[in-house]
Amino acid sequence: MTEEKDKGVSRRDFVKGAATGVCAGTFATMGLYSYSPLAKKRLAKTQRAMKDFGVLKSVKITNISETSWFSNANLMGDIHKAGGLLVNQYDLNWPPFGNGKGSAQGSYESGIATIKDLIPHDLEKAWEIQEKLSLHPENAGGYSCLIEVEELNGKKHKYLLDTGWSYKWTDAAFKREGIDKMLENHEIEALFISHEHWDHFWGFPVTMKYDPTIPVYIQDGFYEEGLQYIKDSGHTGPLHSYTDAVNQVIPGMAALKFDVPIINRVFGELSLAFNVKDKGLVLVSGCCHQGILKFADLAYRELKYDHDRFYGIYGGLHISPFEDWDPKYDDLVISLGKWGFEKIGCNHCTGHLTAKKFIEAGYPVIRGTARFRSSSPDYLGNGDTITFGV
Amino acid sequence: MERNEVSYLESRKLVKRWKGPWPALANSLFIAVVFYITWWIFQDPRGIMRMYTPYIGYMVCRWLLILFIWVAYIFDFWPFKRAWLDRTHPLVKSTVIVAFSVAAMYLLIKVFFVDILGNYGIAYFNPERLTSMGLTEFYAIEYAAEAIMMFAAIASWLSPSWVVACENAPWQKLPQPARGFTIVTVTFFISMIVYFLTMHSHMAILFYPWQKFTAICPPYWEEFANTVSGNFHIAWIMCCTVVVWLYETIWERYPFNLIKTNWLRRVSSFFGIIAIAVCLAFFLYYCEELAWGPAIRGTRRLMAPDWRWLHVGEMAIFWLCPTLFLTFYCNNWPTKFSRPVNVIIRTFLTAVIAVVVYIIYYKTSHLFLGTQKGFSHPQQFPMIPMIWLINIFLINSWFMDGWPGWKAVPKTAAEIKELESEVVASDVKWTPRFAVGLIAGLAGGVGVYFMIINFIPWFSTVYTIIH
Repeated sequence: MTEEKDKGVSRRDFVKGAATGVCAGTFATMGLYSYSPLAKKRLAKTQRAMKDFGVLKSVKITNISETSWFSNANLMGDIHKAGGLLVNQYDLNWPPFGNGKGSAQGSYESGIATIKDLIPHDLEKAWEIQEKLSLHPENAGGYSCLIEVEELNGKKHKYLLDTGWSYKWTDAAFKREGIDKMLENHEIEALFISHEHWDHFWGFPVTMKYDPTIPVYIQDGFYEEGLQYIKDSGHTGPLHSYTDAVNQVIPGMAALKFDVPIINRVFGELSLAFNVKDKGLVLVSGCCHQGILKFADLAYRELKYDHDRFYGIYGGLHISPFEDWDPKYDDLVISLGKWGFEKIGCNHCTGHLTAKKFIEAGYPVIRGTARFRSSSPDYLGNGDTITFGV
Repeated sequence: MERNEVSYLESRKLVKRWKGPWPALANSLFIAVVFYITWWIFQDPRGIMRMYTPYIGYMVCRWLLILFIWVAYIFDFWPFKRAWLDRTHPLVKSTVIVAFSVAAMYLLIKVFFVDILGNYGIAYFNPERLTSMGLTEFYAIEYAAEAIMMFAAIASWLSPSWVVACENAPWQKLPQPARGFTIVTVTFFISMIVYFLTMHSHMAILFYPWQKFTAICPPYWEEFANTVSGNFHIAWIMCCTVVVWLYETIWERYPFNLIKTNWLRRVSSFFGIIAIAVCLAFFLYYCEELAWGPAIRGTRRLMAPDWRWLHVGEMAIFWLCPTLFLTFYCNNWPTKFSRPVNVIIRTFLTAVIAVVVYIIYYKTSHLFLGTQKGFSHPQQFPMIPMIWLINIFLINSWFMDGWPGWKAVPKTAAEIKELESEVVASDVKWTPRFAVGLIAGLAGGVGVYFMIINFIPWFSTVYTIIH
């Protein structure tokens, strides 16, 4: 009887020890192994798909507008008053979806109802109405650029990336750069919308005013309101919504989709990659919410490009758009040099502070002329151009 | 030992009002309703006050947490009288104590941090000063809120640690409020030191140019953590906050309560919690690398090392919710086995539930809580709703005596005497068979670890949480 009892005690002691040991062993291994070089070795090595998406001769980009808004204080003040960076952009009561009810009381339906009959044919009137109904209409600008691509055989293509925000500002910028005529003449083959944000997309009727049949390319992160806006703006051409990460457009040009959450209830970004002969890869973005290095990393994993070299960047890099800062942005400033870009044409949401830090770090930032309300020559401003190749 | 010689929480026994699972179900429903109504009123970006900017809301819920801990654990409900606590209806009692905590929180944030520290010490605690120097108001408020919040994050690890690990020593004999003020002062002082060692440099590089004369720029952890961001410290500090409560609740202060020598037990517990937290932080970081691939320094969101460290803290907080639920509403189930076996079952169970909560959260929070869609975004802060929920757990359990499913009754003298003997665990003893079991268990623990790290890459390829 005593022996059996001893065995029972002995077994229970073993179980107690084993239970203690399992917990201790698991936590100890977590600490000793997880952040060790050995653990790093277990991680899967980058598998490069090296998709051959062709090559082209050159890419020229004209900055139609990079000034999406003119006062950070007003923009962030409106967002703050409405409840912060997560409030649905269509509820902010910004133009063209103002309904006169004030901060955070807007909606797509109530806003569009005030101008639906006027777009895209009478944008002046539509904007006049919105100037009375919305918050800070004078602060609205917009982002848009013209991309001119030349294939190796000399064939040329024109594309628009994004279509601004303010009808008034975007229309004026289009006229200044001759975009209105190009659209009317159907010289521009397609409009790519990088993402659904106000300053890249809400000027959509301006493009429709001149060419409602233009093929439009978006990604599948668009919300219902955005899709409805495309219809309400009178678009009659084909609408393509990318679902795949990598999508070839023409030889040497690909659209890359990123599933990335963005402020004010926006999701997903579409960016463009070009393989320029003898130069390497050029990355073009609207806002690049995914991060320029994530963009470069996806291209590195998926695409084959000349000399296996990153060559150029154009567009908003979304680092300090409101001249705010975070230490993680310094991580980019510190590490961007390792990626070897030779031509950095940044602007828009990159932020002046970032451009300044890039320049201080010795990176090849292409300076601008600070015209047409672009406020600094530290980066490419409105009306400036940049060419990659030739 | 008399009833008034132990803390209020130790002096009461929570008794179920009804048999079976009904109390737990009733409280779960009650908490869910309170959570969603208060979330909508105070935090939801679509709601009324919209404090989820996110840092204002984060600061508030962190400071509320620390105030609740101070009231219940450090001050033992001082200045409220024991007799009042005993006889007052839970709804009245909780309303008064929460109002008191909110008032104390306001005084701390507005008077101490913004007005005193922000005006006479460090400018970044005062948003008006930052705005007057040219910062956009929104970011000035967010920066100040972030700095103030970090104090609470550090204090919400250190304050309970002093009670749980250090057993209030050496001031355990002091009467209230002297004990409370002493421990708050000491832990606040240590929090300040930890803040300067971990977060001050992070704040200093928020401004251009880097404030090199007032802080270490770039921070000393840059190479090790692969980022200059202070999120690296948030990772292990949040894990410390979580491990303190694991240790206090589902682990029943095991295994450090095997140590009979008071000072050794207290020191071992305090630093043991940190060691376990660091292990957990490294492991959770590795889980992210296994699921999403190695971080890329300089990029944003999911692939950025700074966010990965932040997410370590976020993942840890998901573990705290089921842990507290199991303790408060399931009587720390299971209790029928030996202490180590109970501990391992609870640890495994709560970790699995934490994963389930994590998945449900990311699948539903965009719609249900109004947070940003996806895993990684500056405005997707699962710590806020999780801590908001934990605050409600604490209010319900500490200030409402578990109402409506439970009621408080005074513990008997014998039950109170048991508390004294519980300081050192008597049910686990060092024997040769225990040692053999321990060695076998250690080997098993290594095996468990490698099973997990082999499972994660496979699971991440076959299951997508957010489409």
